[in-house]
Formats: sequence, C-alpha cells, structure tokens
Amino acid sequence: MAFAALVRRHGPYLRAFATRLTGSAADADDAVQDALITAWDALSSLEDFSKVRAWLTSIVSRKATDRIRGRKPSSELDEQRMDDIRRGPEQRAIASSQLDALADVLAALPEGQRQCWVLKEVGGYSYEEIGDELDLSPAVVRGRLARARATVISEMEVWK
Amino acid sequence: MTMETPPPGDSTDGIGGTGYTLEDLSDYLDRGRLPSIPAIDDNAECSSVLSSLQRVGALSRDLVAKEAELQPPVDETWLSALFTSISQEAKAGRDIPLTSPDPRTRLSITEGAVRELVRAAGDSVDGVLVGRCQLDGDLATVGDSIRVTVSISVLLGSPVHEAAETVRQRVYSELLTHTELTIEAVDVTVADVHVTLPGGEAL
Repeated sequence: MAFAALVRRHGPYLRAFATRLTGSAADADDAVQDALITAWDALSSLEDFSKVRAWLTSIVSRKATDRIRGRKPSSELDEQRMDDIRRGPEQRAIASSQLDALADVLAALPEGQRQCWVLKEVGGYSYEEIGDELDLSPAVVRGRLARARATVISEMEVWK
Repeated sequence: MTMETPPPGDSTDGIGGTGYTLEDLSDYLDRGRLPSIPAIDDNAECSSVLSSLQRVGALSRDLVAKEAELQPPVDETWLSALFTSISQEAKAGRDIPLTSPDPRTRLSITEGAVRELVRAAGDSVDGVLVGRCQLDGDLATVGDSIRVTVSISVLLGSPVHEAAETVRQRVYSELLTHTELTIEAVDVTVADVHVTLPGGEAL
C-alpha cells in the first residue's frame, strides 16, 4: 500500500523531528502516530506530492504541540524526558563535531526556548504560527527566540 | 544625534553600531535580506552575525536530518498497529457536530453511528437487507444539506417499489429524529433480490 511506503520512508525523519521538539522519544512516537492517522484521512487533500514531507511535518508539529500543551508540570518527568535528546556527560566532553555540539546546546536550552527554536529553524514556521501552536502570544515567541538565538550563537562561536 | 561610531558590540547602539539588534538581523534574514539594507550588508560585524545565524539554522536542520538517519527503520509491528487504529478511525468516519446547550461542551455524533442508524432503519422493513450506505456532503457544517445513498436487497416476490419507498421514509424519519442533519434526499437503490431459506431465515 502506498501509504505504508510513505510511512516507511518519512517515519524516521518525523520521529527525529518530534523527538527534538518534545524532548521525549515516547511523546514523539505518540505524536507521529496521531499525525499519521490524521494524514491518512487528509491525504486526498494533498495537492503537491513533492511536499509530502513538509506536509507530514506540519501535522506532526501540531500533534506534538498538542501533547506539550497537555502536559502537567512535573520537574521529575521533565528530567526524564530530556534524557532522550541529551547525550551523556562523557560524550558531552568530547563533542567531536559541530552537530554534536549543537545537539548539546539545544538540549541545554530551557524547554520553551527549544520548542520555539525547533519550530522556527527546522519547521520553518512564523512567529504567529508558533504562537498558535504553543498557545503563546507572538511577543512571547519573539522573546524566547531572541534568548535562544543569543545562546546558540555564542555557544557555537567556537565551532566557526 | 552624533555620527560617531560606537564601540563594536555595544548593545545600546546595536550590532556593529548600526542600531540593529540580533532580532532585527534575524527578521532581515527571514525576509531573504530583501529589500536590502546597505547599513547592514556593508557592516562587517552584521555580516558576521548574519552568517552565524544562517549557519546555526542550517545546522539545526542538518542535526534533525542526521538523527533521522540514525533512527531505526519503521517497525513493522508498529506499522500494523498504526493501520489497525486507522481502520478503526475510518469506520467511525467523520465527526458530525450537534448543537450543545452548554457553550463549553462540544457534542458530536460520528458518521459511523449515523450509518448504523440508517442501516437499522432499512433492515427494520420486512424483507429488506441494507447493503452499502453512504453520506455525501459537508457533514462538519451544521445546516449544510447532505445526501444519503442506501443500496438494499429485497426479498424475492415482495413488492420492490413499496419496499424501497418504505426504506426511504424510515431512514428519513430516523435521521430527522436522531440527528440535526438537513437531508436533501434519501436515494434508495435496489441492488439485489434474495430468497429465504426453508427455515425462514433470509439468505
């Protein structure tokens, strides 16, 4: 079936994106599953098949942010959650590439800043769209991105 | 206003003394650096910040792409569980909104439930078995008219025309009673006839 082929092909990317966004492999898995059920239903509305990954990613974003908004604040859970995108201390000491370094920097950002960053830079959303997704005003999104940007740029300066 | 160039990095005067902040530069980048602002383009410090911004953005996309490569392939068990959920959702069909007395509550009935209603109404007519049942129209918009298509099989020897007409009326009145749908038409197609077994059970 064509849809199964689509899932096999794009599933790993969607899961990687959702893991970066939510900070949790379990949340990412649930979000991807929710998204694919929705996608199956709406597949006939997709006009341009060359944009299928971007389209799927936008549905995953929505499902992942639904989960983020539905979370109960719990620092213990947050800690556990972050383990999925944080490398161990011994690995962190030897960031062997720019990508490793960036992974560490992003994982160390406050959660709200990281979510905005991933939606903006990887998802390609506008401040307004991110605000809608996360239930924040565009001004709050703007502020979070400004702080995230300052941190990421200065931390990545050594890798230039 | 002085034209003196402030020291580089002086935050009050923006990056490279241009008066532009990191955020301004990021917005500028988002706009594809158009229309071009020479004060930014010609400033060494701004150019360096712009390229840093571009670099960390591209790296972020590379990071997710690399992590996607490291993901295990889609698990076949997971995939078949996904398809089970999909077929359950498909059976339930679209959500049809119902007006709620409480603005804080959203009520809806599924398309699958409405189809069952139609089926039961048709089956209640003597000698009739309902086959396919389809709802056409925008179900999500309250007040939009929809068209119901039912195909039935009629017991051999019973008056076909009458059976179809009774099905049409019962389906119509059931939908009127139990849903808020505006029914434009109920189309009944007699697609088959069937015989009864000696035991009296319909085949």
